Amino acid sequence: MVIVDLQHVTYRYPMTEQSALEDVSLHIEEGEFVAVIGPNGAGKSTLCYTVAGFIPHFFKGELEGTVEVAGVESRQASLEQRVRSVGLVFQNPFNQISGAKYTVFEEIAFGLENLGVSRAEMPARVEQVMALTGITDLAERSPYALSGGQQQRVALASILVMEPKVLVLDEPTSQLDPVGTREVFGVIRNMALRGMTVLMVEHKLEWVAAFADRVIALENGRILAEGTPAEVLTDERLLEHHFGFSRYTLAAREGRKEALWPPDRRLPVTLDEAETGFREGLRRP
Amino acid sequence: MNIEVEDLHFSYPGGVEALRGITLRIEGGELVAMVGQNGSGKTTLVKHFNGLLQPSRGCVRVGDWDTRTVSVARLASRVGYVFQNPDDQLFCKTVAEEVAFGPRNLGYAPEKVEQLVRRALAWTGLTGREGTNPYDLSPTWRKMVALAAVLSMDTPVVIFDEPTTGQDWQSVARMARVIAMLREEGKTVITITHDMDFCAENFTRVIALGGGQVLLDGPADEVLGEAEILAQTFVEPPQLVRLARRLGWKETPLTIPVFLDACRRSVRKEDGADGAERRFDT
Amino acid sequence: MRERLSFYIQRHSPIHRLNPFTKLTLAFALVLISFFSPWYWTALCLILLVIFPLAIIGRVGREFFAAALRLLVPVTGFIFLMQSLFLPGGETVLFRFWFLRVTLESVARAFLISMRIFGMVSSFILFLLTTHPSELMTDLTRRGLPGTVAYVIISTLQILPQMQAKAQTIIAAQRSRGLAVEGSFIRRVRALVPLVGPLVFGSLVEVEERAIAIEARAFSATGPKTSYREIDDTPFDRTVRWLMVALVVLSLAARFFG
Repeated sequence: MVIVDLQHVTYRYPMTEQSALEDVSLHIEEGEFVAVIGPNGAGKSTLCYTVAGFIPHFFKGELEGTVEVAGVESRQASLEQRVRSVGLVFQNPFNQISGAKYTVFEEIAFGLENLGVSRAEMPARVEQVMALTGITDLAERSPYALSGGQQQRVALASILVMEPKVLVLDEPTSQLDPVGTREVFGVIRNMALRGMTVLMVEHKLEWVAAFADRVIALENGRILAEGTPAEVLTDERLLEHHFGFSRYTLAAREGRKEALWPPDRRLPVTLDEAETGFREGLRRP
Repeated sequence: MNIEVEDLHFSYPGGVEALRGITLRIEGGELVAMVGQNGSGKTTLVKHFNGLLQPSRGCVRVGDWDTRTVSVARLASRVGYVFQNPDDQLFCKTVAEEVAFGPRNLGYAPEKVEQLVRRALAWTGLTGREGTNPYDLSPTWRKMVALAAVLSMDTPVVIFDEPTTGQDWQSVARMARVIAMLREEGKTVITITHDMDFCAENFTRVIALGGGQVLLDGPADEVLGEAEILAQTFVEPPQLVRLARRLGWKETPLTIPVFLDACRRSVRKEDGADGAERRFDT
Repeated sequence: MRERLSFYIQRHSPIHRLNPFTKLTLAFALVLISFFSPWYWTALCLILLVIFPLAIIGRVGREFFAAALRLLVPVTGFIFLMQSLFLPGGETVLFRFWFLRVTLESVARAFLISMRIFGMVSSFILFLLTTHPSELMTDLTRRGLPGTVAYVIISTLQILPQMQAKAQTIIAAQRSRGLAVEGSFIRRVRALVPLVGPLVFGSLVEVEERAIAIEARAFSATGPKTSYREIDDTPFDRTVRWLMVALVVLSLAARFFG
């Protein structure tokens, strides 16, 4: 079942002349993990805001085309509907802390309060997402006194507790150190395994290759390439447009010129693929 | 210009001991990367290099200056420091003014300031945007302005805090070019980074910190090969090094040409006679 | 980063258990009574017989008296001195010194004013020490304070320490660019521009991001909201509040008709 459906979406922010998105069509199936890559300024965050309904409800400007999430056209959707269908987590963990609450537990419950969820229902739901994101121990801490990785997991839990159908992640680890990155990706992988539909913007191609069912390469507000990680992350057009490749892909691409990488094998996007290919390429009959 | 650190201890007010006895020497012209998880002491250590922090015990010398006896404003003529978030320092109405702020503070003559500004803008790809308001630029370009604003001070030592965070491929490449130019001019470059591939390709010496102490310090290819010790401070070796380990190699290739060389050697060895000497023993 | 972002001290005491609105009413009532009451010793009596005992019952005596000593005693002392010396009028001259003429009446007036100020500030210190800010806001929101107003108040309280940290980073960044922050007054004022600019711009960016973040959590949803924190409002609370209102009215009446 298609859960996110964008048809010919073009969007311009107020007081700008160039479109941030230009004729973008995107369909996401329920349970699919879609990654979005692209240089800065390509329109990745704009795409996130559009799917999450912040465009056109928070950012004004000109939106053309249709955006449908869980069967509801986003222009018609109320805030409650939007929040219950799409959860948005973005880069800076610190700015996602509401500032309204003094403990992690209450911070997570904040969304439930706003949705009018009964008080009796809250503890179980909050505890469940805390367990899911590995922050049970932090329940009574101040959300401000945490590391970046912990704060980002609080942000994730605060969104997950509202049980959205789609999770939109805008570079969720770009501000984190390796420990924090691993913690947050661990939670995301966990959610994906449980069948959550995810749209994730990410620069770290190795993680994209490991997680995504499908990759969308965005440039200048347009979709440049779309397909499986293996297809998109080795697409020559990405190099021409300065997206970059992972070192695995680049090394194999160079090695292929002198048959260090098997000429008939497609370029690798993960460590495992690179290992297998180079083992084969370096073995001489 | 040398930086000498002798038995450096530092505690934050409130008692957390962030540095626990660090001794090291950085020679003029070295390219040094500091790696380690947050809280390992990287930032605390480099903040001693330009006097923003003062040792609780031990001392830090930049050239012949002891950082305890020289003001930060004066040390700024020897050590440039690019902060992680460009928005923490940009305040001028135009890119050119912003970039001229540092060298003017150092008291350089107007002609020299102009020349330094022009050079810094050229290095960072900002030529032609002199009159732009930095806040009209994208965050990626604001980062370049912040970088240019320190490069224009023409200091013998330049420190970068997380230069690649949130940057795309193209601006990481631009950053790499800037580092290469600084190396050509014989400057000392010290970078804090979590990006191990960037670290491998651009730095010759790597210092891994953990728990306020130096865990590893040496040539990049030695340090980045020590996967077990790096894991203590939650650093994962660069992609090519991990691949080399998977292939069972002893080498630690840091760049694609080095990696391919190792591939060629491996193939020659296989071609060169007895199949008994298999490279892949597992 | 500091864990504690308000004056609130978590203890178990009868005062802590009071409804926050009751405590707020109590604080205001004490102030109003001490200002309205025609009886000269009201303020002093309230301080000694109400506020001090409440601080001890509330088990925040140590913190309360520390704050009083550090902040209140010097401030009220100063006010008392200035008022005694400079309040005009009065017959009974206690002593003269150079051009100053200190009368019994001016000392008496100064004492009254100082005690009122002491009472006012100390009753609010007591209030802040024993009331959790988010409980207060939750309760006030329930009583009809717009949610946005409550949010702005409470998030400002929380964000202030963060702003301070950011200001420190900006100062460090600009000093690293050779900005001298020490030295003459003019120099320091000039050094403000490079500090204030990034602080203001940074805050604007953060405000937008935070607005998105709280919208993503249905902050401006129009349906009825609930609250995880349950705040008791007992008959005792209501009695205390009405009693306070009555006392304020009484002291007003005493002033005008007494």
